[in-house]
Amino acid sequence: MHRAHVSKIGMTALVPPELIFACAGEPFDVNNIIPASKNYPKNKLCAWTAIWREMLVKREIKIDSLIVVAGGDCHNALVDGQKAAMSGIPTHFFFYPFDGDVQYLESQLHKLSSFLGNIEYPEKFRDVKALKKLGRKIDNKRLNGKISSSEAFRILVSFSDLMGDLDRFRNALDIKEGNIALNNRVALIGVPPIYHDFHEAAQSLDLQIVFDELPYEFVRHSGDDINEVALDYCNYTFARSLDFRIEFLQKELEKRKVEGVIHYTQFACHHVLEDEILRAKLDYPMLTIQGDLPGKTPQQIKLRLEAFREVLERS
Amino acid sequence: MPSKAGRRFMIGLDVGSTTAKIVRIVDGEIEYQITGTHNWKELVKGVKKEDIISTGYFRHSVPHRASVTEITAAQFGVKHYFPEAEVIVDIGGQDTKVIDVKSNNFIINDRCSAGTGAFLEFVANYFKLELNEIGTLHFQAKRIPDINNTCGVFAISEMISQLVAGYSKEEVIAGMHYAFARRISFMIPETETIVLIGGTVKNEGMVSALRDILKKDILMPPEPQIVNALGALKYYS
Repeated sequence: MHRAHVSKIGMTALVPPELIFACAGEPFDVNNIIPASKNYPKNKLCAWTAIWREMLVKREIKIDSLIVVAGGDCHNALVDGQKAAMSGIPTHFFFYPFDGDVQYLESQLHKLSSFLGNIEYPEKFRDVKALKKLGRKIDNKRLNGKISSSEAFRILVSFSDLMGDLDRFRNALDIKEGNIALNNRVALIGVPPIYHDFHEAAQSLDLQIVFDELPYEFVRHSGDDINEVALDYCNYTFARSLDFRIEFLQKELEKRKVEGVIHYTQFACHHVLEDEILRAKLDYPMLTIQGDLPGKTPQQIKLRLEAFREVLERS
Repeated sequence: MPSKAGRRFMIGLDVGSTTAKIVRIVDGEIEYQITGTHNWKELVKGVKKEDIISTGYFRHSVPHRASVTEITAAQFGVKHYFPEAEVIVDIGGQDTKVIDVKSNNFIINDRCSAGTGAFLEFVANYFKLELNEIGTLHFQAKRIPDINNTCGVFAISEMISQLVAGYSKEEVIAGMHYAFARRISFMIPETETIVLIGGTVKNEGMVSALRDILKKDILMPPEPQIVNALGALKYYS
């Protein structure tokens, strides 16, 4: 059974896309268009949320309804999401539990399911789970130098909405393999950089990003039904306490044998405040960079990356 | 730079946003030359590309055998004078870099002119003075007005208000040095000793204000402007 019209569901941060597909929706992560955007919002703190808010209000992003992740992860989204809602877009506010309470998350997922019109295609849970398994394989190939970090990032970050089309997305996962020298293995933690060529820039400076913290979360969680999704997504690190996230990071960085960590921070994002804690807890040379507006990686950021490579080469 | 006919030397070339510097070591002695960035070619007349180690903002644009970022060059250059240096503050014309040598961390202010040499240049230009002159006038101030604005443009308006309120030119200049030094101090981590380098630190008034605010040991190499060029040379060798 196919609907004549599939609703396009905007999402402001990670919302289980498997549930949206199962409810016959087409997930669309509004952040995915920001790095290539030429939109300079008038009233902004963080450019990520300000740009999608402005584009939504002006109807430059065509969606039928919006899910705002208002609890856990992004704080600015709570206000910018309300501005989008006030402009007339049907909006649902989704809250992750800070303490990982599975029952709370399950109740949130049921509310979301009602907003989306309830589950019509339960098999989509398993379809998405299978694709995420392929995503983790891609991540592993990057870790072993079989595919470039920019290619791996491009795919992993797309797992937030799986391009809104599972068949199209499955075809996009077919990547040519090669052999990439893994000098200067670094992890990229924090929110993804707002620059569309950041991974290429790092690669050109001989820094190999072998871990993308947030995109890895996009392939890490899944489930065959709402209960399993709740069980797994309650470990979504960005919505949890710093201790929880740091413990996960420590294991992941060790497993991936990284030599250094790049902490990307976004201007006026509350995650900036985490930098000193991450520096104190993660025992690696760390470079903190901060971006503001989208575009190409600025020269000043490239200088920092190059100097960081020199640090790694000396240590 | 004295001619050393018939002998080839490696040189460190630092081409920054406002000045270009060249360093070579001849019989154990450091020789250097400084000019405006636009004249950088004058510094390398007759020098072969294979003998140049470049650094600075334009390090990739000038001929070089090898290049190194100014952040790494600063560490190698400072080490020559102060092997135990923990924190280096490089105040240049267009940016300020704070390098925490121990933790391999560096903070760069390149978004806002208030913490760079450009800020003090605004002040000097306003009074139609040279940069070194405002550094000397600082010490003639009898009292120091509070200039609280952290934005370069607004600080200039505040400076004018203080002049209208009756503060002398020397006092207002000292106030601006304190405003600048306070801004820099926010970037400096906990440490006992700080090494200052870069063209702007030749301003004695600003250094005095920074010393007063930080209450730490402040060390400076004999010629703070050529440290990165020296560091490039040392890095390579």
